[in-house]
Amino acid sequence: MLKLIVCLKQVPIVTELPWDEQAGTLRRDLASGMMNLACLHALEAALQIKEQYSADILAITMGPPAAEEVVREAIALGADRGIHLCDRIFAGSDTYATSWMLARTIKQECPDYDLILCGSYTSDSETAQVGPQLAEELDLPAAAYIEKLEIHGRTLRVRRLVDNFRETLEMEFPALVTVSLENYKPRYAGLSGLEAAFDTGNIDRLNAADVGINKSAIETDGSRTKVRKVFLRKANKENILLTGTAANVVGDFLSKYESKISWAIGKDIEEDRNDE
Amino acid sequence: MQLNPSMKHELIRKSVRHFAETELAPIAAEIDRDAVFPRSIIDKMRALNYFGLQVPREFGGAALDTISTAIVVEELSRVCAAVGLCVTVHNGVAVYPVLRFGTREQKQQYLSRLANGEMIGAFSLTEANAGSDAGSVETTAVKINDDYVLNGTKIFVTNGGICDLALIFALVDPEGARPANGVFIAESGFPGFVRGEVENLCGMRANPVSSLFLEDCRVPEKNILGKKGDGLKIGLVTLDNGRIGIAAQALGLAQGALEAAVKYAKERHQFKKPISSQQTIQNYLADMFTEVAAARLLLYRACALKDEGVRFGTEAAMAKLYCSKVATGVTSLAVQIHGGYGYSKEYDVERYFRDAKVTEIYEGTSEIQRMVIARAVLSEMRL
Repeated sequence: MLKLIVCLKQVPIVTELPWDEQAGTLRRDLASGMMNLACLHALEAALQIKEQYSADILAITMGPPAAEEVVREAIALGADRGIHLCDRIFAGSDTYATSWMLARTIKQECPDYDLILCGSYTSDSETAQVGPQLAEELDLPAAAYIEKLEIHGRTLRVRRLVDNFRETLEMEFPALVTVSLENYKPRYAGLSGLEAAFDTGNIDRLNAADVGINKSAIETDGSRTKVRKVFLRKANKENILLTGTAANVVGDFLSKYESKISWAIGKDIEEDRNDE
Repeated sequence: MQLNPSMKHELIRKSVRHFAETELAPIAAEIDRDAVFPRSIIDKMRALNYFGLQVPREFGGAALDTISTAIVVEELSRVCAAVGLCVTVHNGVAVYPVLRFGTREQKQQYLSRLANGEMIGAFSLTEANAGSDAGSVETTAVKINDDYVLNGTKIFVTNGGICDLALIFALVDPEGARPANGVFIAESGFPGFVRGEVENLCGMRANPVSSLFLEDCRVPEKNILGKKGDGLKIGLVTLDNGRIGIAAQALGLAQGALEAAVKYAKERHQFKKPISSQQTIQNYLADMFTEVAAARLLLYRACALKDEGVRFGTEAAMAKLYCSKVATGVTSLAVQIHGGYGYSKEYDVERYFRDAKVTEIYEGTSEIQRMVIARAVLSEMRL
């Protein structure tokens, strides 16, 4: 039986969340949580593996008490059991600390896994770092942003789109992938599954001490980054009028926007001109 | 007393909302306009247990509690009340009485197929001269050998155009010494079970509400629900439960209209500012928000009582009366806030407004709810 681990994150439902212009932050106090979309795609990939082969799925999340909801949802969708890593001292963890803590938990609770699946990125921070960092912590072969995966014995073959090239990669189990939004459209949770996830769903809630992490370890191995400011990027439109003879207009146009045009047409205009 | 929703209830709400917004929102206006029952979406809902909300797991149901059931109907109706109606009538007044009063054999024969949505159910009490007066049904059931032969006409049967099974209320042995009301489980395939045309109604147009004609319709004796003379009792108990569903439907409509009104009030500019900055509009929205919140508490209290296994009939009637009143009031104000656009089919509030009215009429009119509530207040409050 294959042992799969799916790492999940609860994110705020951003569409419902007001933006505090002055503080430059989301009003998270008003947030209702949901499972991050890419994590749902990762879970769907795991569920499809389970349908095709015999597999056991462990869903893990780290987050505040309310984050238990995404583990319940994963069980409702077909995961076999869950772990909810929850402790006040985890608050404010960055991606480095998160992947380190997830790695400790996985080594302790499910060391005999075959494949770890993560979402390619989260909708609230979009760093796309936890998956690859977790692979580093666990010293695993990994591929990020995969669109499709196949299993041949102990070999995992994955397909992904990188820089407009479609790559097919192979690696041996145990391995880690992060799943993009391209395929693995998430299924809907059935009402029977949702009820059962709360009635009989098997979730271990673990605190820091349970996975051998204390405050001093967090100070040494914890977060390396701090978010200083979050701001909305604004795109401005500007109308520019070029005047003069046709030759002047074209000359002006090229000199002002050469790099942008080169980028858009995929050809270095300056180099071409020098060649002439 | 628990007043905050549990994590389970919130997750069920989010899941149903996601389904409704993804699958129903894009087609809700169209199926209303064309009066089309959305079969392909109903098929998806079958697979997700929407037709076995409170049926035990052994029969393939979801085994939800009543608050969860109300949330499901509320969230469907927030987007498309006609589909919410199909689900709540099937679960609330067709499946529930089979679960509550059915024999072991009847449950084995019908519950699994109802719970997985293979069969869609209807409840068939109303006639030309009976409805609020449930004791006056004129449809007859006469025993011939091992069958009962039913004759009569039922009107305004929700799900009538597509149901695979209907619970028929009839007067048993009308010529006998002691005629009594009985309820019969009639499959749509039984000989003499004839559907009328789908009604051309003001709202809930995607639900095929129709007449049913029983023309020497032969129903096996084993398909009597409960005892032969239990019809009135079964009807009243079933309607107590059904009222929770209609209250939930009305609440969902009010919630949908409120959200649409808030969104529009923030977008629409008059006098160089959003109309939401006008105190009159703010007062409307404040009242709507408050009424919807109060309606929700009243409804969930009725649900909680039912889950505790105590009498909930009066509370269900109060919830139905109040939620439907809030639905007609809030949807009307939502149209008002939208101005001329609210009167146009381009905006959802026009549909919500039409859909809301019938929640004051079916499964017991508001006048009947007041009768039920008045009976309770006069007998229980010994002053």
